[in-house]
Amino acid sequence: MVTPILATKLFAPSPRAQAIARPHLVDALDAGIRGGRRLSLVSAPAGFGKSTLLSAWVAALRARSGVRAAWLSLDEGDNDPARFLAYLSAALRSADPAIGVHAHAGQPSLEAGLALLINEVAHSGQEIVLVLDDFQVIEDAAILDALGFLLERLPASLHIAIASRSDPLLPVARLRARGELTELRADGLRFTPAEAAEFLNTAMGLTLSHEDVAALETRTEGWIAGLQLAALSMRDRADASAFIAGFAGSNRFVIDYLIEEVLERAPEETRDFLRDTAILERLSGPLCDAVTGGTGGGATLAALERANLFVVPLDEAREWYRYHHLFADVLRSRLLGHGAERAAVLHARASAWFEHHDALEEAVRYALAAGDLTRAARLIEASIPGVRKSRQDATLLRWLSMLPAETMARRPVLLVFSAWSALVAGDIAAVEPRLEAAERLVAPGAPAHESEPGAELDTLPITIALYRAAVALAAGDVPGVTRHASRALRLAGPDEHLGRGAAAGLLGLGLWAGGDLEGGLGAFADAGHSLRLAGNLTDALSTTMVCADMLVPLGRLGEARRAYESALGEARARLGGGPPTADLHGGFAEVLIELGDLAAAEEQLSAAEALGAGAFSAEHHYRWFVSKALLRRAQGQPEAALALLEEAERSYRRGFFAEARPIGAMKARIRIEQGRLPEARAWLDAQGLTPLDELGYLREYSHLTLARLLLAQGDAAADPLLWRLHDAALAGGRLGVVAEIRQLQRQPVAPAGEQGPRLSERELQVLTLLASELSGPEIARALFVSVNTLRTHTRHIFEKLAVGTRQAAVRRARERGLL
Amino acid sequence: MTINTHTYQVRLRGRLDERWAEWFVGFTLAGDADGTTVLTGPVADQAALHGLLRRLGALGATLISVNELHSEPQGEESP
Repeated sequence: MVTPILATKLFAPSPRAQAIARPHLVDALDAGIRGGRRLSLVSAPAGFGKSTLLSAWVAALRARSGVRAAWLSLDEGDNDPARFLAYLSAALRSADPAIGVHAHAGQPSLEAGLALLINEVAHSGQEIVLVLDDFQVIEDAAILDALGFLLERLPASLHIAIASRSDPLLPVARLRARGELTELRADGLRFTPAEAAEFLNTAMGLTLSHEDVAALETRTEGWIAGLQLAALSMRDRADASAFIAGFAGSNRFVIDYLIEEVLERAPEETRDFLRDTAILERLSGPLCDAVTGGTGGGATLAALERANLFVVPLDEAREWYRYHHLFADVLRSRLLGHGAERAAVLHARASAWFEHHDALEEAVRYALAAGDLTRAARLIEASIPGVRKSRQDATLLRWLSMLPAETMARRPVLLVFSAWSALVAGDIAAVEPRLEAAERLVAPGAPAHESEPGAELDTLPITIALYRAAVALAAGDVPGVTRHASRALRLAGPDEHLGRGAAAGLLGLGLWAGGDLEGGLGAFADAGHSLRLAGNLTDALSTTMVCADMLVPLGRLGEARRAYESALGEARARLGGGPPTADLHGGFAEVLIELGDLAAAEEQLSAAEALGAGAFSAEHHYRWFVSKALLRRAQGQPEAALALLEEAERSYRRGFFAEARPIGAMKARIRIEQGRLPEARAWLDAQGLTPLDELGYLREYSHLTLARLLLAQGDAAADPLLWRLHDAALAGGRLGVVAEIRQLQRQPVAPAGEQGPRLSERELQVLTLLASELSGPEIARALFVSVNTLRTHTRHIFEKLAVGTRQAAVRRARERGLL
Repeated sequence: MTINTHTYQVRLRGRLDERWAEWFVGFTLAGDADGTTVLTGPVADQAALHGLLRRLGALGATLISVNELHSEPQGEESP
């Protein structure tokens, strides 16, 4: 399930019959597009005709030049990154159905989703103007950052137009300085005297003198909403000039004066209707009837539209409307004058109507506005499955923050969910008390609780066990992970695939962190299987990275290679290159480097890069830098590798994955290879690593790094440490690690640099095989590399040993103790 | 520690009706002879102040000035 999309938010308002053409403004916008500017910004207070201008412009563009419009009317709820992305995808899809197909399917991050969308827009080739209306409501920093990022990377076929009541918190100044911004502001938008005359006398059908028009224009300062209200007040008035004189002579707030006038002239039932329905963000006939308790709401709305009373249609069928913002605020202030109780009743009715029409999000919003927290709590509980699947975390977290603790105390489902929100927020200490409270409520014999029956409640014990396993994992408590994840697996029925997949995955992560890689692989095979059955191919394929990370130390490189090949084939064919394709390319590159096939690794990294920097999942973003660093290291570019590893450190996120290969240790290894031993030593000391430490899988890579340092320093402590590591790795079946240790043990304990250039590990492997009877192609096969790659290695070995033949190389190597 | 509520005065062009006091909870509205309106009221913090200004902006109000009213110092400063 994805975020439900309200089509009304994607509806470009059709130009009004009474709207007057404003060619100078449309020309300015056109010139911007022709000049290749990225952004059109229409920034002015309410009532300056921003939406009207943009809708007229995009309609003209569409008719004239085949440029399509993607329209998105924003509201406060769009401050949720997942929801914002879902709507952005839907809006772009309305312009070209090929866009946004993959991008909204549960993206891990807004930037990743945006990067994917940009690619799709670029590939589609369709010229699109994306209009973001009412942008002033967007305050979420993540969304603003991501949009700033988008503006810097816009494909030439995409232009963005923003209508906002205040200047958006985007890098507008930079675009302005670079001449990439078309800007229309209040001064440019207000009606000129000629436009005011045309509007009042032609569009609104009045017959005003030149002086009267000038007086109105001066009094309203060309403010279009003011002129429109004035025109409405004067309709059917015998003496327009007297009205204008009164208005011009008054210093009352323009809108107060005029709306009062308009409302005074409307029939009483219309006034009541307007006041009571003003709380609604969007209006339909049946909804208005439910809120007012009356009938004929649809007809009333249609009549309001005909009378031009500030209702804006939101669809072609004239089913949904909204009030003009300015008008809605004035009406709401009048409603408040009738007392807060009245407003609460109306909000509660709106909430009930939305609930019965399966619009839970709006039902929650009105319940909260009505101050009915019990109702809100019940609705939030009911919306959990949908909101969780659409990953609208921010929305749920905001709702939860509005509920006092006592409202949640009798609702186990909500308690468990708030435990999850604490987990997500990193507030680990708050998780267990909430889980315990929930557990007490569902225990046999407990007094009745308030959660509704249903799947969420039925699977609550599984969910509780899963969250406990996640907490244990965060705390590094491996036995705890195993205990809770096993419990979740036992509790989950055979058909509860999602629960089973999550439990198996957590179990696997725990086994991995504990060094049981065979066990971890088995658990992740189960997890992948369950996730497939649950229909979650993205997460199922993501298990490939974890499995490969375990296969490499086990020495099963061929298996890791085949796993990546098959996962990539599937990701390309069935996910269209969407997540986790980029992660898979990055991970595959690392395996290829291990295999010594640097050219193929380079290809994988390029393929990942082609998907865009944001195509990586948040957890694996740093891995791309790691992969690239490992490649540069293997290519003999240690400085480039170190710079990339520093980049990796900056984008590193701890996540739930075992930290089996710390970035600091990788940096230390490169420095050891460069002979910069004090720098390597500093990191190892900071970690408190010594040759006498107790060994454990999570520190194996670091301890091996220490052994390398000791070898380079000619320190005799290297030998016993290597033997202990050797035995531990052998006992754990980690044959890849065993091979690495044996390689190190063959190196003479002597300071680096004494015997000419040092051979890389791969070159030492090749050298060992060169000393055998195997032919060149046989050696290449044994190492899983191409004959070409083998030749490259051989050439490097010959150069470093200053020899010209295989026999000479083997002889020189024996002399130096390398074999 | 007490929460420091500040008192702000916001001046707008035009005379705003009394009934808007309900809309700007806690504020008093006063029309001035020069055709401006002064809203005076408590503002909890900067976020609340920006929220107030946004609400005024949503009404199409023209802002003339925003001032913080300084209360008289309470008691003597210790030396």
